[in-house]
Amino acid sequence: MAEGWNTDNGEAIYRSQDPIKNLKIRIHLQRITSTSVLLQQIQEPTAGHGKNLLPLATLASSRATAASSGYRPDDEEEAVIGWQEKLFSQFEYDLYQNKAACQSPLDRQYHQDVLKLEKAGGRKNLRIFTYTDYDRYTNLEEHWQAATNSVKEVPTYLTERMANVRCRRQDRRPMDGGGLKMRLITWEPSEEFIRNNHVINTPMQTMYIMGDLGPYGKLGRREQEYVLCTIKVDSNGVITIKPDITGSKGPYRIEMGGEKRELWKYTIENASVAVRPEEQEREQHMYKDLYVRHKEYLNSLVGSDFEMPAPGTLRLLVNGELVSAQGYEFDNLYIHFFLELPKRWSSPAFQQLSGVTQTCATKTLHKDSVAYFSYPFTFEAFFIQEDESEDSLPQWPALYFEVLSLDFWQRYRVEGYGSLLLPATPGRHVLTAPTWRPIELGTRSELRRFFIGGSPELEDITYARVPGTFQGDRLSRFGFRTETTGSVTFNFYCIQQSRAFMESSAFRKRMQSVLDRLGGFSQQSSIHNVLEAFQRARHRMQHVRENLPQDLITTTASAMSSIRQSTA
Amino acid sequence: MAEVHIIGQIVGASGFPQHSLFCKWGIHAGGAWKLLSGVAEGQTQVDNPQNEEMAFWSHPIDIHFATKGLQGWPKLHLQVWHQDSFGRHELYGYSFCHVPSSPGFHQLECVTWRPQGSWQEQLSQLFVGGGPQLKNSDLIYSGADRYRLQTTAMGKVHLQLGVLLRHFDRYGVES
Repeated sequence: MAEGWNTDNGEAIYRSQDPIKNLKIRIHLQRITSTSVLLQQIQEPTAGHGKNLLPLATLASSRATAASSGYRPDDEEEAVIGWQEKLFSQFEYDLYQNKAACQSPLDRQYHQDVLKLEKAGGRKNLRIFTYTDYDRYTNLEEHWQAATNSVKEVPTYLTERMANVRCRRQDRRPMDGGGLKMRLITWEPSEEFIRNNHVINTPMQTMYIMGDLGPYGKLGRREQEYVLCTIKVDSNGVITIKPDITGSKGPYRIEMGGEKRELWKYTIENASVAVRPEEQEREQHMYKDLYVRHKEYLNSLVGSDFEMPAPGTLRLLVNGELVSAQGYEFDNLYIHFFLELPKRWSSPAFQQLSGVTQTCATKTLHKDSVAYFSYPFTFEAFFIQEDESEDSLPQWPALYFEVLSLDFWQRYRVEGYGSLLLPATPGRHVLTAPTWRPIELGTRSELRRFFIGGSPELEDITYARVPGTFQGDRLSRFGFRTETTGSVTFNFYCIQQSRAFMESSAFRKRMQSVLDRLGGFSQQSSIHNVLEAFQRARHRMQHVRENLPQDLITTTASAMSSIRQSTA
Repeated sequence: MAEVHIIGQIVGASGFPQHSLFCKWGIHAGGAWKLLSGVAEGQTQVDNPQNEEMAFWSHPIDIHFATKGLQGWPKLHLQVWHQDSFGRHELYGYSFCHVPSSPGFHQLECVTWRPQGSWQEQLSQLFVGGGPQLKNSDLIYSGADRYRLQTTAMGKVHLQLGVLLRHFDRYGVES
């Protein structure tokens, strides 16, 4: 056999939004020279004598000539089959002609069909036939199939239970708005309820394309029926075909059992009628139209504009949350905090840059006392880049806070001071800042703090970082005594907005920090200018060089080589 | 116009003094924001864990916002309630969290607090339950008048939120 066989007969999954009735499958079934040609020849003499041959022998004799010529009409068959199109097998054809055998309405329907076929002159298909979703076979097939080749395999408990689950065509009422009125819980689930609800199953329709591979004239035997192709479709437009459509791959083959060991090959093709290009175009157009309308609808709801900062400014929006304070000595904590905006930062006038939380009694969590505040704040600030060459690096806003405790007699104690810089990168940041409080030497002050409250305080909270009044190059805190107290947890969601960020992303991704990016805005252009100038100069040089008289270049080249030689 | 999808769930709560908890939640956004689809408030079932500390609700959140600006980024506010054996409800905690502004999956813990009454009230709370509640629930998600409150720390609410942003990059927003 020159062509390769397709041995991959796993299932393939396709998705389609088209109605499934448009699906058409072309099956081409062909017998290859039976592997038993040799066998036949050997057996023929003996078979010829045998009187116990089937009545087929008479038939076969007439066919024998055809067989010897190598081709018989039933060796090859092609059929185009639509979704759930019923093609009767020989067995069914014979069965349904007999009205007495028909019991169910489906049987009777088939009886009618068969009679009609009979009138029209017999069925067209010989070997290829189908079992549709309604057929008994489909049920049986789903009911139990042996998974191994063990002779003694019995269905497992789960198989039996699953067999009750009808994976196909369920009558499930859609859940609509009235769902709330329904009872949420079924206290006494019925057998039917269990069957329908215990397994999540998408309703699925199945169809089998079968081949009757029996020898000619002996069609219609159950054991000679082979599944050529299984097609399953669920309500979401997922089509499962097993085995896959043979495209450029080779055909599938079936090797039959028994002593004859005949070999069949078959191909599966998608024969569905394709959409005409103009229709496709129209559909696309329609979708486009739909999207445009949807967008217009959204715009009419919200408006198409978006608030933007002025050019050359960075807008920093911090959605923050003062989460908790932990590890403090006294109970009933509250926190006072404010934001300091450094030079070149501004904020809208209505913006509140400070806050006081509620007083919170602590609870014990892992041997630590914690107070939960869940206090929201939002800061909005603008950074204006005026001049890059100017002295130092720009500074980022800092948050200062002090933790205080309130006791039963409404006296407060300072529990700690702390500060942190707002995160410079956008995104979510959970920061836990440790705090300290100033102490005085000696036990006296501590005793006083413990019994009657009051303790040394900072005059200026900014002393927690670089004090606002500080001038000079060395910040000294010599002589200042502190004690470590608890810590405060903050949660920040930082958003940065700038027109500079709208620039092409490739360039700015290489940049590291925001300031680079912002600063780079003018730098970028200057670098770009330099590069451009360089390119221009280079082009000019090349141009000049090309126009130079040839001999001049060669002379310079020889001069160069002579120089090199001399140096060597 | 930019869009935000918030898809996630209120997973559960831990660290509360008793079981049988449920949660009322709502989402609050500024004037520039418009709710396109989804339910912006709800209430979970009562969950009574048998052997563990944490109550699980797995309550779904699926909201679609469109916005004209960054001001008033959505906030989620939560109230945890306790249902006692007599079917009475008492407040166990208020909490809030900002909806994360960066896209992706976020696992959040929201700490809760509840107003603390006078010592007489606390005593009666200990025996018969109940306790003071906020008159105005917007105090949960605004910080302005918080200093009037005396509260006590309660448990935590656990959230899982997935955030999808659309068109924010178009307006030079990095989040």
